[in-house]
Amino acid sequence: MIDAKKTIVVTGIGVVSPYGIGWAALRDGMLAGKCCLQPATDLYPGFQGTLAKVGELPQLPESHNFSRSDKLAVLAARDAMSGFNGVSETLRASGIIMASTVAGLSEIDAEIARGAADWYRHGGLKRASSFSVSCVGAAVGKHLKIDGPNCTVSVACASGAMSIALGANMLLDGAAPMVLAGGSDALCPFTLSGFNSLQALDPQLCRPFDQNRQGLNIGEGAAVLLLETLAHARERGAPIHAVLRGWAMTNDASHPTAPRNDGAGLATCIGQALERSGCGIDEIGYVNAHGTGTPLNDIAETHAIERAFSGRATPIPVSSTKSYFGHCLGAAGALEAAITITAMQSGALFPTLRLTNPIESDSVDYLRGELRRVPLPVAMSVSAGFGGSNAALVFGRLSA
Amino acid sequence: MKTPPSLITGIGSVTPFGPLAGLLPSTSIAPRVITAWPTPGLRHAFLVEPFRPAAVVPGLKTRRLDRLSAWALVASSLALQDAGVDLNQMDRSRIAVVFATSFGCVELTEAFFQSAATNGWPSTDPITFPETLSNAPAGHVALFHQLQGPNLTVSSKSFAAESALLQAASLLRHGQADMAVVIAGDTLTQAIYEWYEAAHMLDPACFNEEPLSPSTEFIPGEGVVAMVLEPTGKRQTRSYAALRGGHWASGGDAQSCIHQLLSGAAPPRILCAGNGAPCASSSETCSARKIAGPDAVILPRQPVAAGLADTGALFHLLLALSQRPGSGEAIMLGTADVSGFAALHLELP
Repeated sequence: MIDAKKTIVVTGIGVVSPYGIGWAALRDGMLAGKCCLQPATDLYPGFQGTLAKVGELPQLPESHNFSRSDKLAVLAARDAMSGFNGVSETLRASGIIMASTVAGLSEIDAEIARGAADWYRHGGLKRASSFSVSCVGAAVGKHLKIDGPNCTVSVACASGAMSIALGANMLLDGAAPMVLAGGSDALCPFTLSGFNSLQALDPQLCRPFDQNRQGLNIGEGAAVLLLETLAHARERGAPIHAVLRGWAMTNDASHPTAPRNDGAGLATCIGQALERSGCGIDEIGYVNAHGTGTPLNDIAETHAIERAFSGRATPIPVSSTKSYFGHCLGAAGALEAAITITAMQSGALFPTLRLTNPIESDSVDYLRGELRRVPLPVAMSVSAGFGGSNAALVFGRLSA
Repeated sequence: MKTPPSLITGIGSVTPFGPLAGLLPSTSIAPRVITAWPTPGLRHAFLVEPFRPAAVVPGLKTRRLDRLSAWALVASSLALQDAGVDLNQMDRSRIAVVFATSFGCVELTEAFFQSAATNGWPSTDPITFPETLSNAPAGHVALFHQLQGPNLTVSSKSFAAESALLQAASLLRHGQADMAVVIAGDTLTQAIYEWYEAAHMLDPACFNEEPLSPSTEFIPGEGVVAMVLEPTGKRQTRSYAALRGGHWASGGDAQSCIHQLLSGAAPPRILCAGNGAPCASSSETCSARKIAGPDAVILPRQPVAAGLADTGALFHLLLALSQRPGSGEAIMLGTADVSGFAALHLELP
């Protein structure tokens, strides 16, 4: 017997991705197996790599101070709310927990380093006003006229999943009737240059979980989930896309950037999320992995999944959907949550693209080749990031 | 939200008062003349005097870190020490770190931009990049103390510190951690100061040798405050205050929210936490007077903490606790420059 006041459900999903604006565009693109990654040279002089861009964004009212990350977030939030037919006062009091790592960094150019005061005098003042990551959540609140609790999480590449976990906590606290939770990050020279300097980028198309993987490709986008309790959703007759059955957050406390090779921190996180969800290891039908394509992440993550699902009757199906449109950093966890729900609704397990020679594992079933059609009542999405943070989300169908 | 209280059992800080464990001395702090970078004339700010972190926390290595990471490490170490926590006796997988910042590791972000301006984007510094991430300080705190619980970094317009404190309490409430180290703060750099100046946000006292007055609005500042938060009854220890609940919002009615928190009663004591924006000038005090009972004690906001803007609430709370405002219920009230409020419901011992 479920407690409707303590059950968190997803009643809206909004996405802006390299497939276009809208969750439907993402769903159709991924079901068609379309890859959005393309060679690019125009992010900054000297850049040569592979990435996935979102096209030109539509004009938004009163958005003159918005960064590109803000705009992506607003558009995704608007998409998530597109079917909302509830009471406007309920919406006004709702919470917003967004995630971002880039935020307004995309609006600042290196010229600021030659003299900030001068740069501000020549148009930089307004551009710099969106620098703080808090601006992403604030932009969504301003645009949708939502004035409940509002914050932005910035926990590197685990941010997007953590915003959903914290949104669920906020609902259980009764701090807001509904919560918009998600992540947004724009492409910008700062992050591309940073990952390039770390030699973490694959100049060609990335190959997550392949033995010959060379690194990641970066993408951009945003995803927002509308969360509320089952009781609240039923009261207003909202469509229920999924139940957020479990969530957990841990830290490796091992290295500033590298994950623990044995995957222990992420395995603990997965275990805690499973425990909270009440699901056994055999019930999970699919894991949407963090799967960046870097040599360090993918082996550590494989070890984590092997540990967490040790004793399972059959190998656990796993894929990295970063192979479709790259690593969207602070938005990745939220986008992958949306993809996990898409997989459940479509009964389709998305393969990792270009995976020809998977990391050897007896207990991981690396999805590759064709889309696999299976009923999927319960699935998991996992994320990890610099600073050692891990997050895991378990989604299920309402009847599951 | 109304729930069993969490206790603030340890405090550490790196502020213009210096690196300290526990409450602050009763001396007042004046803004200092900025000498750390060239200014077009006399300029003041509430700055932290340089110090060697390893002299405060033996064994701490901070050479490649942003000052924000270094201060977070020092403040968290002092807070854990002040709380009498023996980490060797604790399950470190059950200890969370919740960090609030507005600008993140802005010094190394500027250094990274500098390397791009000097060498071009294809030749930036790989060592600097990971340290520019906003969650680097919280990651270093986890790494140094081996804390494997949830590790969050949050930012919220005007109320980042309140948000961090309430989300940490939420982790404890939902059994996702047994203890949380809550940290809030920012560093001040030339580029940030010049942004405030270009946006005409600085108080006249930033330019002159004027003494601070109650009408003093915004003098930029820097610092980090850390607090150890624990559920009631887990450990026999003294506490500085109990956090009974609270709420933050970017709009809405502070008065009705506070009365809800207090089950209809008027707050006997209000500790004001301004966000430092010029138009927030004493709006907290005005709101407080409207909300409070006729005999209420109202502690006005402190310019030294208001200089931290979005992340100043923990510093305000520390200053208020250091003034020993008496026992009983209290509301810590923050209001924003445009709209919104944060209210922390506290029980003072």
